[in-house]
Amino acid sequence: MFVTAAYRRQVLPGFGLSLGCTLVYLSLLILLPLSGLAFKASNLTLGEFWAIASGERAMASYRVTFGASVLAATINAVFGLIVAWVLVRYSFPGKRAIDALVDLPFALPTAVAGITLATLYAGNGWIGKHLEPWGIKVAFTPVGIVVALTFIGLPFVVRTLQPVIEDIEPEVEEAAASLGASRLQTFTRVLLPGIFPALLTGFTLAFSRSIGEYGSVIFIAGNMPLISEITPLLIISKLEQYDVIGATALAVVMLLISFVLLLSVNALQWWAANRHSGHGGRGAGRGA
Amino acid sequence: MSIEIRNIGKRFGDFVALDDINLNIPTGELVALLGPSGCGKTTLLRIIAGMESADSGQVLFAGEDATHLHARDRNVGFVFQHYALFRHMSVFENVAFGLRVKPRALRPTEADIRRRVNELLQLVQLDWLSDRYPSQLSGGQRQRIALARALAVEPRVLLLDEPFGALDTKVRKELRRWLRRLHDDMHISSVFVTHDQEEALEVADRVVVMNHGKIEQIGSPDAVYTNPASPFVYQFLGNVNVFHSRVHGTWADIGRASAGEAPGGEAMAFVRPHDIEIERFPVIGSLEATVQEVHAVGPVVRIELAHASELIEAELSRERATVLALVRGQQVWLKPRQLRVFATPEAVLEEGGSGI
Repeated sequence: MFVTAAYRRQVLPGFGLSLGCTLVYLSLLILLPLSGLAFKASNLTLGEFWAIASGERAMASYRVTFGASVLAATINAVFGLIVAWVLVRYSFPGKRAIDALVDLPFALPTAVAGITLATLYAGNGWIGKHLEPWGIKVAFTPVGIVVALTFIGLPFVVRTLQPVIEDIEPEVEEAAASLGASRLQTFTRVLLPGIFPALLTGFTLAFSRSIGEYGSVIFIAGNMPLISEITPLLIISKLEQYDVIGATALAVVMLLISFVLLLSVNALQWWAANRHSGHGGRGAGRGA
Repeated sequence: MSIEIRNIGKRFGDFVALDDINLNIPTGELVALLGPSGCGKTTLLRIIAGMESADSGQVLFAGEDATHLHARDRNVGFVFQHYALFRHMSVFENVAFGLRVKPRALRPTEADIRRRVNELLQLVQLDWLSDRYPSQLSGGQRQRIALARALAVEPRVLLLDEPFGALDTKVRKELRRWLRRLHDDMHISSVFVTHDQEEALEVADRVVVMNHGKIEQIGSPDAVYTNPASPFVYQFLGNVNVFHSRVHGTWADIGRASAGEAPGGEAMAFVRPHDIEIERFPVIGSLEATVQEVHAVGPVVRIELAHASELIEAELSRERATVLALVRGQQVWLKPRQLRVFATPEAVLEEGGSGI
């Protein structure tokens, strides 16, 4: 199909040019730097690579980075769904302002977010001083990392879900109610399956954003090796010691893990989107 | 199960959607709510279903007050204009939904669900589609699945909101007849909303004609067509010619033609196109007119005539048209076979001329 599309005369012009542009652009922007990374890392022998990649500090930082990212993305999936639902379904004064507020984490410099959150959640901060008596420490612990990553990831979930929720006809809910379904049954059996693929997409976006997040985290994390040190920070500190090879090795590991995770979430998403339209593609799922 | 609607009123802001509606629907009847868009017919249906709450009045099911019952507890089957099927469920699961969400104590076993759904799919003649998804079906098939889904919970009442509105003419006619048969087999009360007079007249036992949130007339299809209670019903059901006239005593004069008993003052006379007799020579009480257009449409010949500045539509059988051999510009004389005179109400004055 690819070949026939390229050779036959098409109704839509510009296929060759636009595909060429796409490939060059993606190569320059993504493929070239990444292959440079792999190339640099290939200076190491497998043994050396493994020794750096599986060092105690490195392993701890993976756990912190990926653990906190999954946690933050999960929290966002739940609350982002609620926020998106409220913004789509109800009308109330100040709705536009709240809608605009959601985008703020996109726009705010991440360092500002990190410093603000660290100040709020520190032992003497507005929120931190109420949590302190309960023995809960947020700032300068892994919990702080989750807070920062949750802040960063929220808009991804909300903005992915909004158009999908707008697409749900209220009639479908009424139909479920007239068939005797309770509110909970309507939500879990009728609404959620329709939203689920988009929810996964939002989760994935928030998650990938979190893995790479650096600016906001370093201010609130406390950056204690083995406890609250994230992999991007470890990479930076290796660079600061002119250990470029070591930094590259860690970067490759992150790249691989991210790639595998994203691929599996994408597969899951594809499955969720397609199982309900028989054998058809995405387009077939949207009839009526 | 019978439905009784007592003094139902509903407003949306300043707009009066329903104004003191009273309606009785005995068990087993198929009733059509007919009216132009915005007349409140869908609102009334949604109030019966419990999807909208009335501002005032009561809804009774089998004599019991159901006004404040939630939609899920009313046991009504509801069919939407745009089907509202669950996209992510197969046809089978769509139909099974109502059975699967029943409380555990009332829920049939898996085998029973399977049997019941297959029965329903056979009833709507789509059992061969049970594994498909809604997006893979045609509009007519989707609507039949929606109907099967509504019938799965054995509703006491079946409510249909413009069920065939989104379908093309041929499918619509087929489904109409099929709905009628289905209703007769199921022994339930059904109410359907439509703006298509042909649909209402063909399918329903009784037609409720609504306009501006009020019921204009309730009656059998034959009664509302041949004996409309108001100018609105006359104009809404079928084509009609309206003659503005002055009433002298008990006679309404339309040009030189006079007929019928009427109240004094300004009045309007309504004549259906097929009730107009065309003659080539003047007869007593006839109206002079000129032939403007002659259209042969299937079994009838539609003729547009001009009387003074007013346009008159007449329908003749092909045989009669052949005998008359009318040509454009010809002078003819009209005589109404049947007409009805109403005093001119203010609301109708604005819709002069020949209405549809």
